[in-house]
Amino acid sequence: MAQRTAAKKIERTKSGPPDALWRKIGGTYLLTNDSGHYAWLGEKDFRLVMAGGLTERHPLFSELASKGFVRNRLDFNDIAAKWKKKNAYLDQGPGLHILVMTLRCNHKCLYCQSSASGVGDKKTDMDLGTARKSVDFAFNSPNSGITIEFQGGEPLLNWEVLKGAVKYARERAQSTGKELRLALVSNFSLMTEEKADFLLKNEVSLCTSLDGPAALHDKNRLTPGGRSHSDTVKWIKYFQKRSGKQVPEYRVFKPSALLTVSKYSLPRHKEIIDEYVRLGLEDVFVRPLAPIGYARRLWDTIGYDAGEFAGFYLKSLDYMLKLNRRGVFIREKMAAMMLDKIINFKDPGYLDARCPCGAAIGQLAYNYNGDLYTCDEGRMVGWEGDDLFRIGNVFKDSYKKVMTSQATKGCVVASNLEAQPACARCAYKPYCGVCPVYNYEVQGSLWGNIPANDRCGLFKGVFDTLFTLLKSPANAEILKKWVTK
Amino acid sequence: MGDKMKNSLSEKKLVLDNRIYSPEAVKLAAFVFSGRTGIKIKYGKSASQALIEDQASGNASGEFMNEVLNQQCRIDLAKKSSKIAGIIVTKALLSAAGEKR
Amino acid sequence: MKNQNKKIISLTIRSKENNLDTIRYAAYAVSAAAYVFIKPAGPALFPRPSKCGAGGGVTVEFTPKLLSQVTGHKSQAGTPAQAAKKLLERFREELKDEKLRAEIFEANRDLREFMILKALAYEEPPAGARQEDAGLTPEQEKELDALIAQVESEIKKESAGKRSRDPLGITRTWEEKYGAKNRRKKN
Repeated sequence: MAQRTAAKKIERTKSGPPDALWRKIGGTYLLTNDSGHYAWLGEKDFRLVMAGGLTERHPLFSELASKGFVRNRLDFNDIAAKWKKKNAYLDQGPGLHILVMTLRCNHKCLYCQSSASGVGDKKTDMDLGTARKSVDFAFNSPNSGITIEFQGGEPLLNWEVLKGAVKYARERAQSTGKELRLALVSNFSLMTEEKADFLLKNEVSLCTSLDGPAALHDKNRLTPGGRSHSDTVKWIKYFQKRSGKQVPEYRVFKPSALLTVSKYSLPRHKEIIDEYVRLGLEDVFVRPLAPIGYARRLWDTIGYDAGEFAGFYLKSLDYMLKLNRRGVFIREKMAAMMLDKIINFKDPGYLDARCPCGAAIGQLAYNYNGDLYTCDEGRMVGWEGDDLFRIGNVFKDSYKKVMTSQATKGCVVASNLEAQPACARCAYKPYCGVCPVYNYEVQGSLWGNIPANDRCGLFKGVFDTLFTLLKSPANAEILKKWVTK
Repeated sequence: MGDKMKNSLSEKKLVLDNRIYSPEAVKLAAFVFSGRTGIKIKYGKSASQALIEDQASGNASGEFMNEVLNQQCRIDLAKKSSKIAGIIVTKALLSAAGEKR
Repeated sequence: MKNQNKKIISLTIRSKENNLDTIRYAAYAVSAAAYVFIKPAGPALFPRPSKCGAGGGVTVEFTPKLLSQVTGHKSQAGTPAQAAKKLLERFREELKDEKLRAEIFEANRDLREFMILKALAYEEPPAGARQEDAGLTPEQEKELDALIAQVESEIKKESAGKRSRDPLGITRTWEEKYGAKNRRKKN
């Protein structure tokens, strides 16, 4: 009898509206909450849930209650655990340390955001002293593990210093006990067997750019002789072969590639993905272009808006899912990172999509002269003559001073989604992030003006695509495999 | 648009009621616009007056009004959410600086 | 009241159901598609602080940019009239949404602060350790769910067939037996 009384009492009590965010897509509502749970509801159910009127008799009650959408049935521990896991970076310091070995480059990519200079200009090479000091600085991070990523320009143009930095970083890792991952981002055009051997023996993971088949890749990535694509492909194959023959002394990582989407890419999604598949690459990182650095100057020629990117992205994902259904494993990297949050409630380490963003507190960019910036994009703004995002220098400033600098604080505050009027209300808030550098470059302030912000439009397009795809059980099965592999 | 008198062919005057657009929001918006176009603000008891140079292309006065609204909505949100926003920012900065709590 | 003067659309909002924050945000939400200006509709902005009332209210003026900016699709260049119509539709939707959000925010403000603090302080219990009893665990919740479902199905079975006999009043609730709180004699 007491149980019946309890049951009737619960039924009669209205629970009040749940703390939820929503977005209407087509005729249905996507509901999300801070812990990252989501649900799809029709109009009627949406109104019922938001009025707190959902009763246990309702077919969706169990599902919605377990996801935190029924106010008087909240599992506080579950919500807290999921929120914490998804926002694990809040307990950490900068994990990614980008060392810009040189601004020299032997390519002149149309969209270059690294503000690369000509091959002869050696005054923009990092010297060994600065490299070692930068490594020392990186080891100040309170994280138990860090990643040092060598970039440029083309870092292989400063090979001797790169080698010295790799050796020194490994020594520091050994003496401090910190876990160290090393990575190199290169166009591979200057790679040799000797260099490859050194890098692999020191467990440096390798990443390059691949914009699609030769005609498209070489159109975006100009180099004297026009051999960019063939050099890239040659060394991708080489490193794949090496990773297929592991040795006990060191781990050889598979090479990875990034796609930078220009206007020329938009009608050619199939060819681009086919090229990745042809080369045995399992990940395509479909990276949108941002109007920063050189790309800004050529935006009318190579740029596009959020709607155009969303169209390209949807077609690309559709095609990849089709290939997966045929037994070809190919995964979109940005989708995988977002899905890690959506499905696994995990922090995937995607510095562009977190709250606050990774500027300074998640990553640091070390310029060739030891100047420190909030991120590589901030460094590019500096190269264009505006040092707003410069937060210190490895020779002159302490780690703590850099972490508490005005620019660091400014970026953290401006990228806090709880303080952004549009983001605080957005259904994608649990999974998204803003970029103060983008806001500053395009809209004139760190805060930006989000309703008119094309980067926001772009991310919304990505999330709309992913959540809509997840509605189909067949697609959801494949997408879940992308984050359980 | 709004209450404006054209002082010259390229200048537009806006009168922003303090009850709707706080002087703080107007000030922040003016700061954002300071590099873009000529802008003069006069703060009054009941309203702020903004004089904006409209360029030949674009609509600087329109963009300015939107920016004031942007800043005002930020201020509105801060009144409600500053505690949670502050907690997250503090946590992030302390962790990055290596301060353990 | 809607007025179209050249390209400007004015909408005066006097309803008691929308406060200024709500109107500002709804206007802000559509500001990618239009230049927005809000001004008082009369000398007394709101009869009471932050509430629209008779004789007060605000006028929101929109100058639409392009239909493509209203809808987000470049292919939809559209006419100014189409852009205006779409814009007003969107604004009204945003007003409704924002009103609901304001209610949700007020209802959950304290709970949300509690949850964020709890989440920040949360530590994964070591494997095998007993969790502190801070409420029902997920397993206990599931058990309770199953129990409630069982109770419900018993209730369904009983009420599906003939009326059950209850000479001792066992199935009557406490309130049914003793009356609602305000009818009982106070001690």
